Amino acid sequence: MDFVLSQLVGFGNSLVGLAFDPVTYLYLIPSVFLGIVFGALPGLTATLAVTILTGFFGNKFPLDQALIALIGAYVGAIYGGSYPSILLNIPGTAASAATAMDGYPLTRQGRGGEALGITTTASFIGTLFGTFCLLIFVWVLLLVSQNIASPEKALLALFGILLSGTLMSKDLVIKGWISGLIGLAMAMVGLDPILSQERYVFEWSYLLSGFQVVPVLMGAFAIPQIMDGMRAALDIIKAPNVQRIRPELIEVTKRLPVILRSGAIGTGVGALPGVGEDVAGWVSYGVGKTTSKESASFGKGSMDGLISAEAANNAAIGGALIPLLVLGIPGSPPAAALLGALKINNVIPGPTIDPALIIHVVAVLVMASITMFVMGLFTARIFIAILRIPQTIFLPVVMVLTTIGSFSVGGGINDLFLMFGVGLVAYAMNLMHYPIAPLVIGVILGGLFDETFRRSLLISDGDLSVFVTRPGAAILVTLNTLLLISQISFIKNNFKKIFKRGV
Amino acid sequence: MNEKTLLRARDFWTSIVLMVISLFFLLKTAEIPFWAAQSAGVDAGGWYNSAALVPYGIFIAIFVLALCLLVVSIQDGGAKHALSLVGLGYSNQEALRLGCISIILFFYIFGLVPRVDFILSSALMITALIWGFHRGQRFCMVVSACTVAVVSLYAMLAHFPRSQWAKPHDDDWLTLVAFIGLTFFMFVRGRKNGELDRIAKITPIISILVPLILVLAMAFGFRQNVPNRTGLVFSKIEYHYYVSLRPLWQGKK
Repeated sequence: MDFVLSQLVGFGNSLVGLAFDPVTYLYLIPSVFLGIVFGALPGLTATLAVTILTGFFGNKFPLDQALIALIGAYVGAIYGGSYPSILLNIPGTAASAATAMDGYPLTRQGRGGEALGITTTASFIGTLFGTFCLLIFVWVLLLVSQNIASPEKALLALFGILLSGTLMSKDLVIKGWISGLIGLAMAMVGLDPILSQERYVFEWSYLLSGFQVVPVLMGAFAIPQIMDGMRAALDIIKAPNVQRIRPELIEVTKRLPVILRSGAIGTGVGALPGVGEDVAGWVSYGVGKTTSKESASFGKGSMDGLISAEAANNAAIGGALIPLLVLGIPGSPPAAALLGALKINNVIPGPTIDPALIIHVVAVLVMASITMFVMGLFTARIFIAILRIPQTIFLPVVMVLTTIGSFSVGGGINDLFLMFGVGLVAYAMNLMHYPIAPLVIGVILGGLFDETFRRSLLISDGDLSVFVTRPGAAILVTLNTLLLISQISFIKNNFKKIFKRGV
Repeated sequence: MNEKTLLRARDFWTSIVLMVISLFFLLKTAEIPFWAAQSAGVDAGGWYNSAALVPYGIFIAIFVLALCLLVVSIQDGGAKHALSLVGLGYSNQEALRLGCISIILFFYIFGLVPRVDFILSSALMITALIWGFHRGQRFCMVVSACTVAVVSLYAMLAHFPRSQWAKPHDDDWLTLVAFIGLTFFMFVRGRKNGELDRIAKITPIISILVPLILVLAMAFGFRQNVPNRTGLVFSKIEYHYYVSLRPLWQGKK
């Protein structure tokens, strides 16, 4: 109890410090606004918003301030995706795809304003719920993570890549795994972390330091969007007129159990390594459909359906930051971009992380969600107007943003060449339905996996049993094996049959 | 043809490419000492500490998974359609669109940004992309791509070595002329065909203002490095910032 109280006191002090510092608002308001705009414009994503800001802030700003901007953009973008989903039936981000299921039918019924209002409130409460879970569970996991050594770290990194590959695949699961392996392979370029042996440098000195995270992120997420989105856009989108946006208190109170349930699901799914806000939204929507009293109206304009998706995708933000801060393994693609920002500032998340930084992140999340809530309720009409901007206008601007952002982080022109190369590969992969998130997570975790895997073997003199004799490692080996086996079609089909019989 | 068949036809070729690439990198990995790992000439343990261990695992895994993908694609009829362009989902219009975008982005990144003033090169790229693709007309796409390619090729051929990237400004002037020319052509053609809409009118403003504001914010606000500081426009801005403006507000003049 004392521990929880001390955490709350520390968090309270940090929150008050942030709230009374004018500099906070200098970063927070523009970044949340930018985030909502990025989320609202179909073709731009939360990951891209965080990545572009990472390029801008680089390592020349104090990390405390940079985090305000990055987290602000993250929260704003996940929420912003709901605008086109609700008003136009076009998900602004993958995270808000489930939102469109009930949001758009509500707009067609003339209840678009009401839907936006309840979405804003659900997103706000969802973010706060995820943040509260982050504040509590991060310490529990930090205590557990004190016993995590190289074998567990290697297996956890592998689990993150495999899980992300499994859950993010739209087509065959093999494609997700190949994507993750390509990311791992990219991380092998440069000097190896233990012996400083050159690998795949091809006599280009730039490659000695390996692939930099920011150009890889920019290339993987921005270039494919630009190449895919530059199509004829003659029809100016006309967003429907909306009435009152501020929700009724009675309505919010009535829907609170759904919001909290969705928040819990969102946080849980978000905490899974490499699984993003989009999966959280769909899982929560699915659960809502089976448990809600108004399940029959799901897909036809149900408020419960809308809330299930929206509260969960925002709660996933807090969840995604738990493995990031405790283990250095991002819980979602935007969290991977956030990890890139921490890395270029020489902050290595994990068991040795500065506890003050965690408290600061939690306080920033709360401030960002309040800013998002206020902006969502009072400036929604600006964001609705922004929906009219065609992709052919803003995508060239994004190209300039990514170019200058990628250039500025450190590697100069060579980083731009890398960004373009990665972008072409990512576009080709997108075209063939390979998920990009596992690739990025592979690049980020590849170095950690290589180092900890070999260190485990070095300590045990090459004895592979080191991966099964330690309890934590044994659990992770089992999880990895189960994940792989579960995708073998023979076993998968048998499980389906057993499940059907059970039902 | 349904999307699944199309994907499997593409998967057929992708799996072969992946197998070839993984074999190539397995051969490259063989160049890294495996059985007797060394660090700076000193024995650093056995195979388990070799820098080749994890890469071997990765490329063998990619090879095996690619093989599985090949089997799946053949089972699902991908091999049957893999030899026809239609089976692969090829369309002339899409190929032209993608080709033109790739040309613009390639020459912007590899030719213009390293050698030409960032504001000018970005203005040209933005105009080319908006005008070229907003209406989806083949003619506009080709003209946009050719303009960027010609200017960039000149910059690359005339100033290929890194030592020449900063100094001469002839390529900056050429880019400026190309930007003005393309904008002028856009307006003339737009007026002639009755296509002079609001988008066309704001294109030059966006093209100039966006890179200008960004570069100023990055260089003087965020204090970050920006491409080609000695470019035609940026060098003047930087000079006047430090020589004319800054002393003024610091009260030194």
